Amino acid sequence: MATESTSIIRIFDVLVVTFPSNPLDKVVDELQEELLQSMDDVQPRGVVIDIANVTTLDSFFARVIAETADMVGLMGGEAIVVGMRPSVAITASELGYEFEDIETARNTDHALSLLGVHAAHEERSDE
Amino acid sequence: MSDGSASGAMANDEGTVRIAGEDDILRARQATRDVVSDMGFDLTDVTRIVTAVSELARNVHLYAGEGEMRWRTIRDADRTGIELTFDDDGPGIPDVDAVLRGEYSTSDGMGRGVKGTKKLMDDIDIATSEDDGTTVTIRKWQR
Repeated sequence: MATESTSIIRIFDVLVVTFPSNPLDKVVDELQEELLQSMDDVQPRGVVIDIANVTTLDSFFARVIAETADMVGLMGGEAIVVGMRPSVAITASELGYEFEDIETARNTDHALSLLGVHAAHEERSDE
Repeated sequence: MSDGSASGAMANDEGTVRIAGEDDILRARQATRDVVSDMGFDLTDVTRIVTAVSELARNVHLYAGEGEMRWRTIRDADRTGIELTFDDDGPGIPDVDAVLRGEYSTSDGMGRGVKGTKKLMDDIDIATSEDDGTTVTIRKWQR
């Protein structure tokens, strides 16, 4: 079974964490820990949780995402989930996952904008 | 994407995935995805079925340690479908009705997974006892 790498990248003072499509539970746990350690190191304003690769959002995975967003909040950051696929959104809604408290955005650009990261020309226009 | 075992699902219309470790949850999901995609289920139904498989395969792994998933294609007069059976020799479920209503839940939230599975599929049958373990059968028909 192919192992999939996870990634956490930094864009200005925002971390973007990309969940792989079919991770083992322990990979998800490791990614969560790695993210919180990065939070501590980088002290970002927010975290974008990108689930565009995720094709199966079961209750375990949904709980991890909700918990991760909660932990980011406890550490003083803002978490935004982006990229949920239509078929995953339909299934998640039918399952009644409790995502009410989680902020979402259409895509990473939208999330970065919500977190106050704008393209350089917009900032220059203020000068 | 197909690994061969699932190609031509109509001709080769049953199979078994042993569930003994956590990575078998992913194997069960991938085998199911291959089969029901080949059968022609639309992407939303594929996602529903694979999500249900993930819940039930995880329950086998978490609560019984090991077991198996058997799948087969089913037909009636004018439609085809998929039937998946999850069989284990674990401790059984004390109150099945409560599980299906989502009122019974262990620390890992098992009840929620089973209740959700019922919503995603057309049918769910649960046979469980302390002596014989648990057998969960789910079905989805193509519309």
